[in-house]
Amino acid sequence: MTAAATDRATSSPTSRPAPTTKGPTVLRVVASEWSKLVSLRSTAWTAAVTVGLTWVTAYLSANASSGDPGFEPLSSLSQGLVLSQLSMLVLGVLAGTGDFRAGGFRTTFTAVPRRLPVLMAKVLVTTLVGGVVAVVSLAALVLGVLPAARSRDIPLDLTAQWTPQVLLGSGLLLLGMALLGLAVGSLVRRTVLAVTVALALVFVLPVGFVLAADLASPPQVGVSTETVVTELDPVSTVMELMPSNAAYRMTTTPDSAGPDGAPDLGPVGGGLVFAAWILLPLVAAGIRLRTRDLT
Amino acid sequence: MIQVEALTKRYGATTAVDGLSFIARPGTVTGFLGPNGAGKSTTMRMIVGLERPTSGTATVAGRRYADLDAPLHAVGVMLDARSVHPGRTAFRHLLAHARTHGIGRSRIEEVIAMTGLEPVARRRAGTFSLGMGQRLGIATALLGDPEVLILDEPVNGLDPDGVLWVRGLVRDLARQGRTVLLSSHLMHELALCADRVVIIGRGRLLADATVQEIVDRSERAGTVRVRSSEPEALERALCALGAEVLSVEPGTPRGVLRVRGVSVDEVGVAAGRCGAMVFELATEGGSLEDAYLELTADAVEYRGRATTVGPEAGAR
Repeated sequence: MTAAATDRATSSPTSRPAPTTKGPTVLRVVASEWSKLVSLRSTAWTAAVTVGLTWVTAYLSANASSGDPGFEPLSSLSQGLVLSQLSMLVLGVLAGTGDFRAGGFRTTFTAVPRRLPVLMAKVLVTTLVGGVVAVVSLAALVLGVLPAARSRDIPLDLTAQWTPQVLLGSGLLLLGMALLGLAVGSLVRRTVLAVTVALALVFVLPVGFVLAADLASPPQVGVSTETVVTELDPVSTVMELMPSNAAYRMTTTPDSAGPDGAPDLGPVGGGLVFAAWILLPLVAAGIRLRTRDLT
Repeated sequence: MIQVEALTKRYGATTAVDGLSFIARPGTVTGFLGPNGAGKSTTMRMIVGLERPTSGTATVAGRRYADLDAPLHAVGVMLDARSVHPGRTAFRHLLAHARTHGIGRSRIEEVIAMTGLEPVARRRAGTFSLGMGQRLGIATALLGDPEVLILDEPVNGLDPDGVLWVRGLVRDLARQGRTVLLSSHLMHELALCADRVVIIGRGRLLADATVQEIVDRSERAGTVRVRSSEPEALERALCALGAEVLSVEPGTPRGVLRVRGVSVDEVGVAAGRCGAMVFELATEGGSLEDAYLELTADAVEYRGRATTVGPEAGAR
């Protein structure tokens, strides 16, 4: 084998790439990142788990509330995303940390020494994969509430008034979670730490903030609970700007009011705030990638 | 050609690479030698643009790595055999790498065949032995059919067959006019395949010469060893000839002398003149290993305690 292999190494004039095939282009880097993302089992696993969790959660929550007199199947759609946004987040984190799990980044960034095109390509392919998973999850969502709706003979009209917008918002929430995971993963680079940070940002931070605010505020003795709060309450306002709440806003209808004491962001406003939460770590990751050594 | 000029890298108070300059030329295998922590890998990472020098420059084919139009066609890099996601198959890893430069599948199959990876190409890299990982690293470096190859410890973990193969491969690549920079801490390995050797210690250049020049520089180079019945008389005779006596192992009448500055013939003649019976007479060649150990003696960062097997053990 040895001798033959060496011979082949020396005699391959035909294999020399034609001079027209030059260096990395945007399209090539995207193609490369695409094969990297889809060649990992973790991508397939997290995608499958996301779709499965969406269906199970939607099915169970619709069944649980189908006994209520005012059961409205479409209003419980967003309930189905409670758990699956978590696995979408993990899908994104793994897409972001994959290169850094071993020394893969050395291979990647010696091929594309300008570095930033790689990050942009990762955003693009994660959007593609995340978008497909989100669309399939939406189908799972509808299929999940279908049995409960049928049992009450409530027809599901997906084109009714706000339904298309709520579905779009739900899809964007899932996609956004994948991108938030990617941004955090690209910035933090270490998988376990990045998953922890991303989960903390989305799930722990809001709860922790409410608890801290409760402990900090003096007990409200003698204040009537009937008081209508008209002023902005700082705690509610901050809560509304948290990534999970802002993302949840995308799945609500424009006519639904926000919580008391918080600015009414509406679905679009919520989406913009959520987008800012994605951009922040993404830009930080870009700056770290561009300006720091890769060792 | 790889050109490194006054390259310096500091991490806070630590200086990893200190004003290093050397050139690796086309058609030669340049060995890059130094103890662990000498700055070899840091230097290589700076050459390929993963790290920014604190000062100085490193260029490939006259350009900074980051300015190369098509890096994979210009430079093949293997910095670490573990530069692969463990969950990806060898083929997929090569495919993703190839796609950044629009390199076709036929070339991927070619480097897989070249490196003997066919049986494991569809297996995930995490299941690879160190040797297979090295082969995949070399396949990755060869993918773009580059003019310059930078290989960090390529024989590390290879079986004897693999070591032979790498040796032949780098010689062939150099014969084709390519530039090969090959790091190792195994000096005898470099003695067998490198034309020139750049030796560094603590980030500084210690030597930059051909293998032969470095071997000749060794203290033991050109030493004559003679075992005779009259070591004292012979020592006096050789000193008269201007020889430098390096060591005397008494043990009369079978004493061994090690001298420098005279040829074997001269020693033989001198022995005959003073009536000494000669039992052994030979030149002792220096080895790259000796020269390397002498050069880096002060620059070794991590050294085990010397074990006492010297003269005492010999005296018994």
